[in-house]
Amino acid sequence: MINKEELQSLFENELKNKLSGLESMRKHVAKRILGGIALIALPIMLGGALFITIEEKNIESLQWLVKILPFVIIALIITGIVLLILNRKRKKEYRHRYKNEVVHEVVKAIDPEWSYAPDDRISQSEYYSSDMFRQHFDRYKGDDLISGTIEKTDFRCSELHTEYKDVTYDKDGNRQERWVTIFKGLFFHADFNKNIEAKTYVEPDTAERLLGKFGQKLQMSSKGKLVKLENPEFEKIFAVFSTNQTEARYILTPAIMEALVNIYKIYKRRMYLSFIGSRVHVAMSFKKDLFEPKIFTSGVKYEDVEFMFNLFMMNATIIHELNLNTRIWTKE
Amino acid sequence: MDTSLIVIIAVVAIVFIIFIGMYNNLIRKRNEVDNAFGGMDVQLKKRYDLIPNLVSTVKQYATHEKELLTKVTEMRAKATSSNMSPDEKVALDNQISAGMKSIMVAVENYPDLKANENFMNLQRTLNEVESQISAARRTYNAVITDYNNAIQTFPSNIMAGMMSLKHKEVFVIPETERQNVDVKNLFN
Repeated sequence: MINKEELQSLFENELKNKLSGLESMRKHVAKRILGGIALIALPIMLGGALFITIEEKNIESLQWLVKILPFVIIALIITGIVLLILNRKRKKEYRHRYKNEVVHEVVKAIDPEWSYAPDDRISQSEYYSSDMFRQHFDRYKGDDLISGTIEKTDFRCSELHTEYKDVTYDKDGNRQERWVTIFKGLFFHADFNKNIEAKTYVEPDTAERLLGKFGQKLQMSSKGKLVKLENPEFEKIFAVFSTNQTEARYILTPAIMEALVNIYKIYKRRMYLSFIGSRVHVAMSFKKDLFEPKIFTSGVKYEDVEFMFNLFMMNATIIHELNLNTRIWTKE
Repeated sequence: MDTSLIVIIAVVAIVFIIFIGMYNNLIRKRNEVDNAFGGMDVQLKKRYDLIPNLVSTVKQYATHEKELLTKVTEMRAKATSSNMSPDEKVALDNQISAGMKSIMVAVENYPDLKANENFMNLQRTLNEVESQISAARRTYNAVITDYNNAIQTFPSNIMAGMMSLKHKEVFVIPETERQNVDVKNLFN
């Protein structure tokens, strides 16, 4: 596993060259996107303006233009659309090369044994078995699957985005559809070092943070009974529900509670955890897409690589902080 | 019917319902305490079951620890045979905990024993039981705190007074256990 200095030198010595090579491809893609959009937008605006001027001022000599103008505009728009469609292939190719040459390098630098699949994701059955989000989904997307082991603990992690379709009817009876995000961010699960029989869930605690002790009274979940724990800092950030009070405490020892507070402080994201079967599942919310190349700004930036590195290190951080490699209990 | 009579009946009914609610709530909390104590007892029994195994394994190697081993065995016999009150049980259990810790420290002197597979399994099981015990204790403390809050805060304290529910003590880890084992001191 590498540290920040080694990452910096990896960036200066290897990644920078690769990124510079990709830079011309990126510029090409960006130009074509802008060109395509211009070919669609400009004819509509300019042609429309011209059309209105000729009609309003009733310029006889230009009437012939009015007749052919729609055809010209349509032709230009079609060209624009074709350009954008053709460009999609190039964009895909750029993304593919970025993932293979840059993202993969960062993963390999952290641990050469880890495997990285840019287009694969945590499976739906894994998502279901985490039981974190019970809302039925209509769309399931994700990529950048990383799997491997850190000492004795195996893990899998990928970006995930689940949504459901919300259909409403307004007062005129018109159908309105919108996609609502259930979860978007990084989804991780690893082998837990103790045997688990019940189901225990750790969720962001909105009620208690806003309303204090009174908020605690409002906490309810269909997932189990509320478990009140002793660490006040932990209680402010998380709410715990479990089907077995004692097992919840067996899992969430004082050390683990402190570790979760630490992880929260490092990433400052809404965090969901579940301890089910033999595994711990962690879902960390992010608003933006992760590990994706930028099209319209330079891709040769250390900050982007560092951000990526920090996300990948989340796997190691969780395993390390939760002491999952400590195998002093009956589970080997 | 007279409106005032209706109002009176309504108020009496509401007060009655509130009292039933408080009564049930307190009973539920008391049962939770009993249940949590039971859960802890189960874990403690598991540890008692491990002791004979541990003692016989350690005995084979650690010939100089006879006194310590006998003491722990005696305590175990006492814990499993007699009917003790919860407080006595807790006190005896704390002694057993201390005894087990001493055994584990003494074991450090016997490398052969430490490498023994049977012993390693025992150690794992013991770690397991210890963390289960500590989880059960924390559950016990949490439900007791809940119970104490209910019987001491207004208005449920009135009901608790009528039901003569008493304040219960939470588990306190003895000073000796709270300190980390200072191995150097043990051999002085």
